[in-house]
Amino acid sequence: MYPLELTVNGRSYQVAVNVKTTLLEVLRDQLSITSPKVGCNTGDCGTCSVLLDGKLVRSCITNALSAQGKEVITVEGIAKAGELHPLQEAFHENYGSQCGFCTPGMILASKALLDENPNPSREEAKEALSGNLCRCTGYVKILDSVMAAAEKMGGPQGS
Amino acid sequence: MTEGQFFKAASPQEACDLLAQYDGKARLLAGGTDLMVAMNLRQQSPEVLIYIGDSDLNYIKEEGGDLVIGAGTTLSEVLNSDIIKKSAPLLVKAVSQMASVAIRNVGTIGGNLANASPAADSATALLALNATLKLVSKGGERLVPVDQFFTGPGESVLGPGEIIQEILIPAQVNGTKWGYHKIGKRKAQSLSIVSVAICCSLEGGTCKDARIALGAVAPTPILASVAAELLEGKALSEGLIDETAKAAANATSPVDDVRGSAWYRRRASEALVRKLLAQMSV
Repeated sequence: MYPLELTVNGRSYQVAVNVKTTLLEVLRDQLSITSPKVGCNTGDCGTCSVLLDGKLVRSCITNALSAQGKEVITVEGIAKAGELHPLQEAFHENYGSQCGFCTPGMILASKALLDENPNPSREEAKEALSGNLCRCTGYVKILDSVMAAAEKMGGPQGS
Repeated sequence: MTEGQFFKAASPQEACDLLAQYDGKARLLAGGTDLMVAMNLRQQSPEVLIYIGDSDLNYIKEEGGDLVIGAGTTLSEVLNSDIIKKSAPLLVKAVSQMASVAIRNVGTIGGNLANASPAADSATALLALNATLKLVSKGGERLVPVDQFFTGPGESVLGPGEIIQEILIPAQVNGTKWGYHKIGKRKAQSLSIVSVAICCSLEGGTCKDARIALGAVAPTPILASVAAELLEGKALSEGLIDETAKAAANATSPVDDVRGSAWYRRRASEALVRKLLAQMSV
């Protein structure tokens, strides 16, 4: 076993992992942070998505030891105390979530997009979310939610 | 069962030393978008992992007119590079249609080549761009043109102690035109059923140094050299385009698989070469 230190949602953790452990296993099984889901476990579906040093990654195919010393954000970490993130609000208000299994990944993929491009076109949002599957097929409402959140967050110049 | 060992190589040389030390037992880990999938599916169970995500293999530069891309450069970095957009837009186009954001953020161009999938989209583009790979090992280094790199599905000339250090793309001559088209089951997150990349100088209206590359239609990504030679020194007429497209389809040896039939792949290869050459001719 190897020691692994990482920060998740602003809190530091130390765990022990083996060479095959994935970041998703660390989050769910060792830290009980369960918003990233086990879907395909092959990097295809996107429901395990997290932000690693600000970048969207698949935690199911991220070797845990490659995240040594890095900062992980899951959907639990984007809300401020008692206050939902505008993306969470927008998903709630626009019915962007049905069964909810894909929602954490969808919200983080959306956050990664808005962090880079605060005023995306609907087409750009579609492209950014194209690696996240929703088996309820609620894509229209999901895109509505992302566009609403972008508007709520006001874009770069508050326009 | 052994627990396995994990090393973090600080440089390509250190990675080569470790590979030599664990002769045949170690696997390189960069973004993990192929290896970790294989490990999750229990198709692979390496005893030793050498992590090269932090090994100074991540760079994009111009050297004497050539474009040099470190093998550890992620697909997202390729996509966002102004240098590559300017000097090898074909590669940017191919990479933009690979996988999805989260995979491109960690998957590397060297990993895509080393994995040696017949459907590796970066390979099709790099074949058309006449790229060369710099391979390094403990014993030294050698240059291998991309068209001599692949030997079969999942197989290449890469020796057990060797790693891809960088990709060299020669400066394209003036008047070079290019085209790229990929067919997959869906737009995002899907492997190619057929991909075609073409580069050709069309200065003064005649073709020179044409390169036609096809992916996912043979045991390796291939160059349709016989087809490309038909173009040499000639103007792109409708008849010549038709002849070349047929010759390119003849260069393929596709298989039936879950993504498409051999029959479809051959027909689509011909159609795509015809379409791209027609677009380049105007």
